[in-house]
Amino acid sequence: MSDNENRELQALQRQLDDAFETTRPRAGFEDDLWSRMQARRPLWAQVRDFFAGLLASVRRVPAARAATVAVVLVLAIGIGILSLRGPGGGGGASTATSRDARTAPFGGAASGAFGRLPAPALQPVSAADTGPKTVIPSGLAAGQSAVTLYFGPAHLEWAGQFNVQVTSAPVYRYTEPASSAADQFAASVGASRRQASSGPGGLGSFSGTGFVLNVTSTTKSPPREAYFVLTPDRSSLPAPGPTATDTANSFLAAHNLVPAWPNVVGTSQTSDVLQVLYLRQFAVQGVGQAYMVDWVGERHGLEVDLRGGQPLQVVGPLPVTLDTADYPIISSGQAVKAALASSPAAPASIEPTPTVRLTTVELVYALAAGPDHSFYEPAFLFSGTFTHNGITYVKRVLVPAVAP
Amino acid sequence: MRDTSAYDSAVVADRPPFEDLYREFMRRIYAYVRAQVTSSADAEDITAQVFMNAYHAYGRFEPRNTTPAAWLFRIARNATLDHFRAHGRRERLRRTIEHQPVAEVDPAGVAEERIQYRALLTYVAKLPERQRDAISLRHSGLSFEEVGGLMSCSEDAAKMLYHRALKALRESVQEGMA
Repeated sequence: MSDNENRELQALQRQLDDAFETTRPRAGFEDDLWSRMQARRPLWAQVRDFFAGLLASVRRVPAARAATVAVVLVLAIGIGILSLRGPGGGGGASTATSRDARTAPFGGAASGAFGRLPAPALQPVSAADTGPKTVIPSGLAAGQSAVTLYFGPAHLEWAGQFNVQVTSAPVYRYTEPASSAADQFAASVGASRRQASSGPGGLGSFSGTGFVLNVTSTTKSPPREAYFVLTPDRSSLPAPGPTATDTANSFLAAHNLVPAWPNVVGTSQTSDVLQVLYLRQFAVQGVGQAYMVDWVGERHGLEVDLRGGQPLQVVGPLPVTLDTADYPIISSGQAVKAALASSPAAPASIEPTPTVRLTTVELVYALAAGPDHSFYEPAFLFSGTFTHNGITYVKRVLVPAVAP
Repeated sequence: MRDTSAYDSAVVADRPPFEDLYREFMRRIYAYVRAQVTSSADAEDITAQVFMNAYHAYGRFEPRNTTPAAWLFRIARNATLDHFRAHGRRERLRRTIEHQPVAEVDPAGVAEERIQYRALLTYVAKLPERQRDAISLRHSGLSFEEVGGLMSCSEDAAKMLYHRALKALRESVQEGMA
């Protein structure tokens, strides 16, 4: 490397240092985010910290003033509890209640073989999600129309035909996988462990011949099953197959990753990346197959990304053992009523509040994540469109199908 | 390279208060994320997600095994990759369908555009994923050992990758200026 080149690179490094050093979020973001994080802490954590703060104060107080401190402590506990619970005595619980109300028109519970179930819900997780959002319906041919999703408030009307006739459907449950499950899965694809864990929920990082594998546990927000990401070494890939689906199938077979669950295969082309999507389905007696949907109501499963006809990445659910139990399903009338009464999944981003005619309904499966167990649960996905400022939006409403 | 904090290389014996980590790393995490994505709004969303995740996982953070910096940047890296997986594909699809170029104007980032080096980060964002990651992690203050750990490669490989990325960036900037 010449001296000149060296100097140029050093100058570039200094510019990069400055660039990263001077890149800042908008004013107020830091404190806003901290406040949001504090507000989302569970009630018990707020109570714990409150008492911890009080105890720390007591330790700093001289013994002679202990009696005074005791009086202050009693008063402070009372005030603290009131401030945490709110004047109505339910302030602390109201956060949880409103979240439940948003996610669970029937209170988020059902009795059955697995006991009370968490309720699946659409859950745009960020500001970028909560505003209108343009997506391509998964698994259909490239070239179809894009749709723009809207999660905010709307005046809902039902104007469709409810043709789903089902009185019971299976709920599937899995126990949250431990790192040993990730080890077992890695071994099945010919990989061995490189690192214990990778970030929150990381179950491990592995490597095999020509690829790296990362496994992550279930996440609650957004609700996402435990999943793996396999990234092949681009320098040692086989020749592409006759079609993208052939290539994806071969790659999955070679790595023992062919989905064991029912699925429908679709492809989507985008610039230089082509996705082969294996959209998961669940069998429901009397209905046939019901698609699984993700947290925005998109069909969901395993994805093989290809570039230049060769695999770029595979993302899919970690294989887990599913227990199953049948649960009664709400009636069509109850489902429609719940849909129309549902709370929006996001704040208003279109004014005035639009009126939306829900015209279609489909039985789907969606993930509801719990602390120890997570569930694939049946739900009714309602959908309708409206137009605002010349743009057609799609409004989706997910109603848990399991009867309370 | 920027000065590193007390949390960067020293493996602290006990967990520091989470707020200390937050105040120490929030801007650095934001800058790292901002170098990966095309809008400041996305960068803020991802940064928020990073610290929400970190906050909930902090009880499981084991400071004897890793530095807070490496732990937080791993979360940031995963969140950014998740963002690309969840949104990038669809956004690329949308642009393909609608034959639209990548948006050049980012209203939410108008204030940020005043920053002198924004253009340089735009070039960083256009690098291939691993090169972009190597540059961003390194200039966010991580050691090559930490960069290698996050990118699942050795320290030496991280150095090589970084230097290749630096050269690619220089060429890209020169082409852009030509």
